[in-house]
Amino acid sequence: MTLATALKTGDLTQLPSRRDEDWRWTDLRGLIRQVPPASPAFDDDVAAGPFDGLAADEILFVNGRQRHAAASGAGEVVALRFVSATEGTAHAAAYAIVVEPDTTLVLLESHEGQAGGYFSDVTLDIAVGEGARVERIVLVDDDAEAIDVVTAEVDLAPGATFNQTVLTAGARRQRIETRVNHPGAHANVRLDGVYALAAQRHADQTTIVTHGGVDGVTSQLTKGVVDDQARGVFQGRIVVQPGADQTDARMGHHALILSDKAEVDAKPELLIFADDVACAHGNTIGALDDEQIFYARQRGIPEAEARAMLTQAFLGEVVERIEHEGARAVATAWVAARLGRAE
Amino acid sequence: MAAVKQTIETVAALEKYEHGFTSQIDQEFAPKGLSEDIVRFISAKKGEPQWMLDWRLDAYRRWLELEEPTWAKVSHPPIDYQDTYYYAAPKEKTGPKSLDEVDPEILAVYAKLGIPLKEQAVLAGVEGAPRYAVDAVFDSVSVVTTFKKELAAVGVIFCSMSEAIREHPELVRQYLGSVVPTSDNYFACLNSAVFSDGSFVYIPPGVRCPMELSTYFRINAKDSGQFERTLIIADKGAYCSYLEGCTAPMRDENQLHAAVVELVLLDDAEIKYSTVQNWYPGDPETGKGGIYNFVTKRADCRGDRSKVSWTQVETGSAITWKYPSCVLRGEGSSGEFYSIAVTNGHQQADTGTKMIHLGANTRSRIVAKGISAGKSSSTYRGLVSAHPKAKGARNFTQCDSLLIGKTCAAHTVPYIEARNGHSVFEHEATTTRLSDDQLFYCQQRGLSQEEAVALLVNGFVKDVLQQLPMEFAVEAQKLVAISLEGSVG
Repeated sequence: MTLATALKTGDLTQLPSRRDEDWRWTDLRGLIRQVPPASPAFDDDVAAGPFDGLAADEILFVNGRQRHAAASGAGEVVALRFVSATEGTAHAAAYAIVVEPDTTLVLLESHEGQAGGYFSDVTLDIAVGEGARVERIVLVDDDAEAIDVVTAEVDLAPGATFNQTVLTAGARRQRIETRVNHPGAHANVRLDGVYALAAQRHADQTTIVTHGGVDGVTSQLTKGVVDDQARGVFQGRIVVQPGADQTDARMGHHALILSDKAEVDAKPELLIFADDVACAHGNTIGALDDEQIFYARQRGIPEAEARAMLTQAFLGEVVERIEHEGARAVATAWVAARLGRAE
Repeated sequence: MAAVKQTIETVAALEKYEHGFTSQIDQEFAPKGLSEDIVRFISAKKGEPQWMLDWRLDAYRRWLELEEPTWAKVSHPPIDYQDTYYYAAPKEKTGPKSLDEVDPEILAVYAKLGIPLKEQAVLAGVEGAPRYAVDAVFDSVSVVTTFKKELAAVGVIFCSMSEAIREHPELVRQYLGSVVPTSDNYFACLNSAVFSDGSFVYIPPGVRCPMELSTYFRINAKDSGQFERTLIIADKGAYCSYLEGCTAPMRDENQLHAAVVELVLLDDAEIKYSTVQNWYPGDPETGKGGIYNFVTKRADCRGDRSKVSWTQVETGSAITWKYPSCVLRGEGSSGEFYSIAVTNGHQQADTGTKMIHLGANTRSRIVAKGISAGKSSSTYRGLVSAHPKAKGARNFTQCDSLLIGKTCAAHTVPYIEARNGHSVFEHEATTTRLSDDQLFYCQQRGLSQEEAVALLVNGFVKDVLQQLPMEFAVEAQKLVAISLEGSVG
């Protein structure tokens, strides 16, 4: 029941629909009337990616096809790019990453729409070895008419650290799903997200963290801003399996709705099967605080600018948690651009 | 502290489930199973008019087309809907009569349950003591409704549903099914087809109901299901407080209880609806038996500035599937939901609320406390949604779960759908266990382990208990303690 299966078989009944609990706010079956033709091979040059110049190695997929062989013994900073280059076509890609024990990896992942109305499905498998450290930064810049599903399955070994920040501006329909198998055992997970949506864009950030053993930490913070008729979706699920005691899991989702036609749907779930845990989630959805805007205007800042400033500061809290300095600068500029502010 | 002390004493004195007795009462049954003929039988038995029968038959036909929902986090063997009696009534009682005519055996049952059915018995208390009007429902029929005359003097109609269909058909036809439509969901649809009795309340404009109204449900007959239907209408500016309690005998078979409660609120009306649910939860060791409690409760705040408050203490039932909801249609209307769900043994509870903000400046508050012990599981499932027109809507939700023991589970599944830029929704949830430090502190001060648990748990649920009417609060506090008996160590 995935987009990839439907693309492969052409069978629309394979698409997840509103009736599937985990897809109730991201209906693909109701939207897609027919599967577009498969994307052709694309050999021309593609424009530089958003993280250009930050990574020593680059793994590039264009229209679902890997361009050059994976860099072996990749360095500490790797750019992983998925480019959609042909209008109105569909492609799927899958990639696996193994991070050796006690090593460090910064994964600068980008999904770049360089054409209109494509379908893209990307599946990633990331295995993080014992004591290894991974920071994954995912920047999704899709075309407004694109349909994009990105699914990552992350397996952590004891003592591993996995930090992730997803930044997206949405698409016609978009889902970015991260599933983490958390072994406990002093492994540490941070899953963050930012969405800044306008026009009729839709973005769904879904995370599932399954704590399977004692002594695990998970911290999640997702923030979003929706304007016009956009729709933001956040689904976070933390599962604590029997015996996964001493789990410390925290999840926060906060959203601003800037227009009366925009929508935010949230489902922060806790499924707890062990008793010695500390789990919490918080969720707030609202508008910008009128008093803050009044304060700014009183100080001579025009209303539009005050709004942009407050919105940027709101999202900034998540961006600041990015550890890699270069990536943080890219993310900050990207957020500013989305909100119509030059950095 | 007096209440706490009393709780502790009660815990020590009481058995695990004190209402588990059965009574030998001559009863009349409809044949087992469900078919159009059974629906006709129930309707004929109650001497209903043709429109009511048509309504039931329509519901039955729709029910046949529906599928049983499976999304709740509960598991149970498939229910055989043909293996249940849909109608069981004490013999020769067609409707509520005066107290003198009620079978003394039934009166004995209620006396044993501590429910005051004799008006003078209540009045004999201290002057100014709160009084309760009671509608007692025994299996499929209402056996007695008290204080009817006194209530009628101020224009309040309080009677059984069967009587309302006979005496006030215009009100029933106007409002029945207008909050929970026939085919709203599988169990509500089943209820619409076979509902037997329940309470009907109408509070006229501007009247503040002079006493607490209450219903007491008792399942007695073996293999029978109870399908009661309650309809409360608060006209403009009216107020009433309504209490609901329920118990059932201990049996190895599962029994089905599928009720529908509809509340209608016009301008400036207010209803406070409190439930203490204590159906038989099944055998704590084996999980055998117990009631399946699949209930649809919904309040429709049609009028501006109307206010509804649901308070529930859920300690019983093998399986609870219940989401008292508020449809906040009227401008400035507000909804509240206060809940304590305690599960122990093999109980499963999937409960919560829906706050549907349709009107401008509507407000809602949710405070849900779940306590799981033993091998049980408790889920909070709630929806808060704001329509594009619900500008200025506000919601605050707080869900806290407390886990006692290694084998229980607690889940929180909130859904939030915000569809306009002028609402504020806040939600917070925590899951923790009973703190060892606190337990140790209490035990150090001379409390036994169970006393300490009762004390801490009472503190945990205090926010909700405070919302209950006084007498209920004391009973609820005892119930919470009893339900958790033997859950530590």
